[in-house]
Amino acid sequence: MGYSFEQHKIIGAIEADDGFWRALEDGKLQLPRCTGCKGWTWPAHHRCGQCGSWDFAWTDVEPQGTVFTYTRSRYAFDRVLERKDDVPYVTLVVELPGADGARVMGVLTGDESGLAIGAQVRGHIRPPSAKTKHYPAIEWELVR
Amino acid sequence: MSRMRGAAAIVGIGQTPYYKRGTSPEPELKLALRAITAAAEDAGIDVRDIDGFVSYASERSDAPKLMPALGTRECSFSSLVWFHGGALPATLNLAAMAILSGQAEIVAVYRSMAETSSQRLRVMVAQNDTSAQYLVNGLDSPAQILALRAQRLMEYHGVPQSALLATTQASYYHAHNNPHAYGRNIEITDEVYANARMISEPYRLFDCSRENDGAACVILVSAERAKDLKQKPAYVLSAPMGTMEGGGALEENWRPYYATAGQKELADRMWRESGYGPKDVDVAQVYMNMNAMGIGSMIDHGFFSFEEAGEFCTLDNLIAPTGRLPINTSGGDLGEGFIHGMGLIPEAVRQIRGTSTNPVPDAKLSLVTGGPGDIMSSTALLGSEETL
Repeated sequence: MGYSFEQHKIIGAIEADDGFWRALEDGKLQLPRCTGCKGWTWPAHHRCGQCGSWDFAWTDVEPQGTVFTYTRSRYAFDRVLERKDDVPYVTLVVELPGADGARVMGVLTGDESGLAIGAQVRGHIRPPSAKTKHYPAIEWELVR
Repeated sequence: MSRMRGAAAIVGIGQTPYYKRGTSPEPELKLALRAITAAAEDAGIDVRDIDGFVSYASERSDAPKLMPALGTRECSFSSLVWFHGGALPATLNLAAMAILSGQAEIVAVYRSMAETSSQRLRVMVAQNDTSAQYLVNGLDSPAQILALRAQRLMEYHGVPQSALLATTQASYYHAHNNPHAYGRNIEITDEVYANARMISEPYRLFDCSRENDGAACVILVSAERAKDLKQKPAYVLSAPMGTMEGGGALEENWRPYYATAGQKELADRMWRESGYGPKDVDVAQVYMNMNAMGIGSMIDHGFFSFEEAGEFCTLDNLIAPTGRLPINTSGGDLGEGFIHGMGLIPEAVRQIRGTSTNPVPDAKLSLVTGGPGDIMSSTALLGSEETL
C-alpha cells in the first residue's frame, strides 16, 4: 500500500519534502537534518547550501512550538475550496524550538481565544482527508 | 555608480483602459498590441522599428505572437524576467542592459492580461507553483500568504492599522482625479474602510489590489537617442533585481526580514547605484499587491522605520502635490487598477514629464518599486535629465 499523498501529488515549488509527508502520514513530525553540518534544512531541499552535502536524515521533532504569525481566512479561495464550510478558519505559521526555529504551517483547532504571536501551541497529526487534499496534516491547538 | 546609470530612458508610454476582470472586449494579445502601438505613437517611433521585447512573470503575449501584427522588421532581443510582480522594475534593468550592450535599440516593456484569455490573476501570479505546504493548510491566494506577513508587521512590529488605511485613502484620493482609474468613483471614508468585508485577516477588501484586464507598455531607447525624440525622457538611474541569503523560495522561513518586503539590500544597492537616497525622492509608485506589503517596501527603502510608520503614513503625507512622499499618484494598484503592477511605470514617467493627473510639482526623481514579498524583487529610480 502506497501513501495517500503520493497518489494525490501536488506539483509545485521545491518538491523535496516527500519525507516530511511520509513521516506525517506515519504519524510523526520529521524534518530533514543535513548529515554533513547537522543543520536543519527547511523547507526541505535537494542539497545543503551551507556545507554542500546531498544527504539528509529525517529526524523526529516534537510537535510543539510558538505562533510566529497567522491569518484567519474569511473567504473560500479557488484552490482550497475543500475548506469552504470551515470559513473562517485560522492558519498558523509555527516556530519549532526543537528544530532551531524552523517554521511549519497548519490549521488551528479548538478554542481560538488567546491566539496571538508568541502563544504556545501543540500539534496533532491528522491522517489524510479530502479537506487536506488527501495529504496528512498537523492541526495546532493553543496550550492552556 | 554603475555603467547602466542613465544609459537608457523611457520615451514612450501606452495603456489600454482598465476593464473589470473577465470583461475585456478584446483578447489579451490584442490588448498587448494596443498598448505597444500606443507607446510607439507617444514616443514618435515607428512601431515596426521596435526590436526588443521584455515582459515578466507568466506573460503570454510573447514577441513571436506580436511581430506579425506589429510589422516588426527584426526582433533582436526578447526575454522574460523570471519571477512574479517582484520583476516589474527589473524589466527596465533588462531593457537597459540590452540597449547598453547593443542587443537591441528600441525595447518595448509590457504586460497584458485578460481573464477570458487566461485564468484569474491570483492563479496566474502563483503560476501553479504553490507548494503542498500551503495548499494542504488552506492557503492558496497571495492575499492569504501576504496576510501572514501583515499580521506580523502589525502585531509584532507595531505598525498601526491607521497606516494601512492612509495608503488606501491616498490611493483612492489620487484615483478620483484620474479619469482612467477603475476606482475613481469610490470614496474611502473611515467607515467604508472599516465596514468592508474581511478577506484574510488582517486584510479587508480595500487593503487589496484590484484584478483588472488591461495592458500597459513603456518604450526604452539609449540616452543618446532619447534626446532627439518628442517626449521628455525619464532616465533609468538604477533598476536592480535580486534577493539576499535568507530570502528566496523559503515558504515562510524568511530571515531576518519576514514582515517587510525583502527589498532592503536591493534598495540599498539602488541608492548606491543612483547616487541618491530616500530623502531625495519626489514621488513614489509603490507596488501594493496588498497595502501592508507596500508599507514594508517603504520601510525597506529607508523612508521610515517600523516605529515611525504610523506617524509617516498619514493621508496628508502620502498625497500630491505637497505630501512628504506622494505615493501611487494615479491611484496605483489599489485605486487605479492592477495588471500585475504594470500601470505603475507609466505613472512614474508621467510624473517626470509633468503630465500626471496628480502632478508633484517639478518632480525629478521618481521611484517605482516591485512586488513586495515576492521570492525575488526589484526596484527602479527614474530621473529627469537634471538628475544624471
